[in-house]
Amino acid sequence: MELALLSMSAWEMLNEEESLGRITTSCSELDDILGGGISCKEVTEIGGVPGIGKTQLGIQLAVNVQIPMDYGGLQGKAIYIDTEGSFMVERALQIAEACFEDMREYHGFLKRDLQACQVNMQPKDFLENIFYFRVCSYTEQIAVVNYLEKFISEHKDVKVVIIDSVTFHFRQDFDDMALRTRLLGGMALKLMKLAKKFTLAVILLNQVTTKYTDGQYQLALALGDSWSHACTNRVILYWNCNERYAYIDKSPSVRSAAAPYSVTGRGIRSSVSNSKRVKMM
Amino acid sequence: MDQTRSPHLMKPEDFLQQLHPTPTQKCTIGCPILDRLLNGGIPCNSITELVAESGCGKTQISLQLLLSAQLPTSLGGLSGSSLYLFSESPFPIRRLVQLSSAFPTLNNPLEKILTHPLHSAHHLFDVLSELDSLLLSGEFSSDPPIKLLVIDSIAALFRYEFENNARDLKQRSGLFFRISSKLKEQARRFGLAVVVINQVVDVVDSSDGLRIGNWTYLYSSERKVCAALGLSWANCVNTRLFLTRHEERIGQEVIGDDHCVRTQTRRFIRVAFAPHLPDSYCEFVISREKVFGLER
Repeated sequence: MELALLSMSAWEMLNEEESLGRITTSCSELDDILGGGISCKEVTEIGGVPGIGKTQLGIQLAVNVQIPMDYGGLQGKAIYIDTEGSFMVERALQIAEACFEDMREYHGFLKRDLQACQVNMQPKDFLENIFYFRVCSYTEQIAVVNYLEKFISEHKDVKVVIIDSVTFHFRQDFDDMALRTRLLGGMALKLMKLAKKFTLAVILLNQVTTKYTDGQYQLALALGDSWSHACTNRVILYWNCNERYAYIDKSPSVRSAAAPYSVTGRGIRSSVSNSKRVKMM
Repeated sequence: MDQTRSPHLMKPEDFLQQLHPTPTQKCTIGCPILDRLLNGGIPCNSITELVAESGCGKTQISLQLLLSAQLPTSLGGLSGSSLYLFSESPFPIRRLVQLSSAFPTLNNPLEKILTHPLHSAHHLFDVLSELDSLLLSGEFSSDPPIKLLVIDSIAALFRYEFENNARDLKQRSGLFFRISSKLKEQARRFGLAVVVINQVVDVVDSSDGLRIGNWTYLYSSERKVCAALGLSWANCVNTRLFLTRHEERIGQEVIGDDHCVRTQTRRFIRVAFAPHLPDSYCEFVISREKVFGLER
């Protein structure tokens, strides 16, 4: 009986995946290399150096997940777990305001019947739809991650969980390093299950370290070995000749490619450079 | 402020915070032009780092902050006392007295600035771990309570304890995260604005330099410099502000057989990275009474 409930034809699987919806990053080039945007039901790890735009992307996704269905969005809510204190309300408001303006412009462009789909959300309404958890230690972080299953079953409209950043509190020395590995592994597993069970996107923002190999600096995601099995997708953000780029390092469905993006007053947007081209690897 | 935050008593739902559409509380730097660069001043509940070579003005700015934190919140201050943890040289008390004359409304400002020496990075961690008891009933308890913490400087604390080999550097890095984690926890708990001062190192001329923030290196006093303590420490601060100085040639004089070049020191403060600020900069001046920004 159980087997029959779990099995699915490949056709059904494709239909399901296509209807799952994706969260736009507000940068079309970035959405393209992601296969349309951040996919729900999967864990995506996004890493890069300080200042490259990890938190910016995290906030942009927490706002964009709320875009109403009438505007092609998921009309969902976000959980934002801030482990470093980088989430600034004024920045989230700025990004929400820009999203709101973009929606109004789109609305006007389509000249839709005002009654049918009004932009009812005000910029500050976006803040109410972000469930913001601030944790200050690895124990608090694990406690909140363990609590998410209960919380999300009581808030079924949550469509994205963002952890900013996932490794900060684990990068200090532990007396028992094996414990650290177990804790990280356990957390990774929980997050994977959440993504699948509730069909939501889990975004893990991560820091990077450098490995000096072959006379060159190579960026590596922090505590990478503990995660590699848990993240379905991995994106690396980096600088290339004064421009910000995102590179798909791991994905089951899209090929490795890089795309430029920019961080503006309005949030994440397409690169302003003339030579913006998606680079296939 | 969340003084009852004890890891054993809190439930996961307690970490959920209501997001109010009001900007994060900030401490004015004491100049509206500099405040504008920073969107109000130094934020509370996160770590702001000031990076500069010696003589750029980082101590001056910190001293001015120790005073401006005492201003009422209606004037951009934190209505609080200040704590200055220092690792090098004697405390610049004379300069502080000079700067305090620009804050005539403050009552006995020197009494509301507590100072404490630091011997090492481990010592800093111990002080931070005991900060709750120190702030509430110990050495750092004051009226009004401390709202600004300045650490001068983080680089000096790590200078002598660690060798430049892989093992020591890894250990050092672990300590960065331990200190930063504790510092952020206490900042969050007591609603503190935290300023950490860092120094610079010369950038070895390499085209493969790692870019952290809005540039790979800056020029200060004709040297190519970047922040000390590397990528690890950069991951431990929320906002990095970089101070630089340049000698600008403004003219030439001939005195007898000598050609003298007249120069002027120009100082700049620039945002390296911040979650709430764009890439921007501001020129500033250090005068006898104040540190203030220049309109462009």
